[in-house]
Amino acid sequence: MTCAEFQQELPDVLEGVSSAEVEAHLSSCSLCSELVSDLKAISEQASELRASEEPDPRVWQNIEAVLRQEGLIRGPQSERLFLVTPSRRRWGPASWLVPAAAAILVGLVVFLNRPVFNPAAQKSTQPTRVAVSTPPKAAGAADSEDDQQVLSEVEKRAPLMKSVYEDDLKNVNSYIRDAQNSVDQNPDDGEARQYLLEAYEQKAMLYEMALDGSLP
Amino acid sequence: MVLCHNVRHWELREVCRRQMEESLFMGSMQRAVRAGLIFLFLVCVAIAAIAETKKEYRFTVGPKASISVLNQYGPVTAKPSAGNQVVVTAILRSDKVEVDHDQSGNRIGIKSHLLAGANAENGRVDYEVLIPADASITMHSLTGPLRAEKLGGDVTLEGAGALVDVREISNAHVHVKTMNGPVKLTNIQQGHVEISSVSGDVTLSSVSGPLVQVSSTSGKIHYDGDFGSGGEYSLISHTGDIDATIPTDASVDVTARSVRGQVENDFPFQPKKHTTFPVVAGSSFAGTIGKAASSVVLRTFSGKIRLKKR
Repeated sequence: MTCAEFQQELPDVLEGVSSAEVEAHLSSCSLCSELVSDLKAISEQASELRASEEPDPRVWQNIEAVLRQEGLIRGPQSERLFLVTPSRRRWGPASWLVPAAAAILVGLVVFLNRPVFNPAAQKSTQPTRVAVSTPPKAAGAADSEDDQQVLSEVEKRAPLMKSVYEDDLKNVNSYIRDAQNSVDQNPDDGEARQYLLEAYEQKAMLYEMALDGSLP
Repeated sequence: MVLCHNVRHWELREVCRRQMEESLFMGSMQRAVRAGLIFLFLVCVAIAAIAETKKEYRFTVGPKASISVLNQYGPVTAKPSAGNQVVVTAILRSDKVEVDHDQSGNRIGIKSHLLAGANAENGRVDYEVLIPADASITMHSLTGPLRAEKLGGDVTLEGAGALVDVREISNAHVHVKTMNGPVKLTNIQQGHVEISSVSGDVTLSSVSGPLVQVSSTSGKIHYDGDFGSGGEYSLISHTGDIDATIPTDASVDVTARSVRGQVENDFPFQPKKHTTFPVVAGSSFAGTIGKAASSVVLRTFSGKIRLKKR
């Protein structure tokens, strides 16, 4: 057995399944032996980290649900979307879209749930919990509610800017709708998915500018 | 008849006299009003001059210092200073606004602090910031304008409605975010440029570097340059038009696509065999010009794309 052939068997080896041929290669090849030992160590460390830091499973489920709704991922429902093992390669070169989209969505959720609208909550020293455990709202309704919250905040802090924000939000929402339709119509079009990400990034930027320190 | 004539004459004279008196009265009234307005204006100017305050802050920093300026209302201009000095000149429009400043080692923060009753007019501060050539600067203003020129460090500018004007910057990152504020970049060489504007137009003149990204929702994007010699350029707008004007000897691998709009191309190019989308004549093209040194992506949803010869 060559090293290349051995590496094909790596996922099974790491899960404790191996043949006599694999064992023979492992005992004769120091490079592959070290590789397996390193991967096992990483896997153990990762599982410890997972136990201590992993958020509520509903967080992952909700993010996955939103990504599916947006058409950014397809295929069978996975138990744990983000615990990607080496054998899970169906994303191909587009695999980077998942963390990128998740980052944008999580960023949006964090912004929307920041306690900036409630002065009493701002004074609180209690750690805030990101409220993503509730089922995702229908995208249009959520957009509308969130946009209204942002607009009311802008109106309080910079009334003259409200109409500009209103127009820009309309344009960005239209961008998202167009991009979403494009993804729905052409699920295999990489450019269409890129449009959708760009659209969400524009909206995230708009929210950020409405809520960060640059407003009075 | 004579009496009648005399009576008429007298009446006529009386009418003229009254009109003259009224005219004189009105004239003097107008003069009085004018004088009053001028006096009022002078008083306002005097009050404004008294209320306007100029302040200067100086900081000594080491290499690669980091400066942040947050100004809600008013312009911020950054220019290079001599030596290792950061000099901040602030003109405060009233006593409704203060300037907070702090230094932690190589990091300097300048912030306009609005007091009760402040608004866009009396809360305005005009900043001019001189920084060492290798220092990086972050500038925020709601109204702007934001200007940076001849700097060698990274530049980050954020302004909702602020006009952004960046000139003559080399070997640095330039990051710009605006909502409807127009963005203009001129002579940016070897820059890592990222611009995001929701509805402001973006104009790039002689901008090149390893990475140049422009993203907009409804703003137009104009590029006039040569796309350098080995960078990644991405100009994307949802509904805005994209115009790129390049010389005939440009060397690019270009992909242009307008989902609902049109594309126009002045250049003969070698078509690509593989693309990530179906190429449709009139609404997309993909190919190489020259040696394809730089990668160029032009994308819009419903705007028009034009790749023009200079």
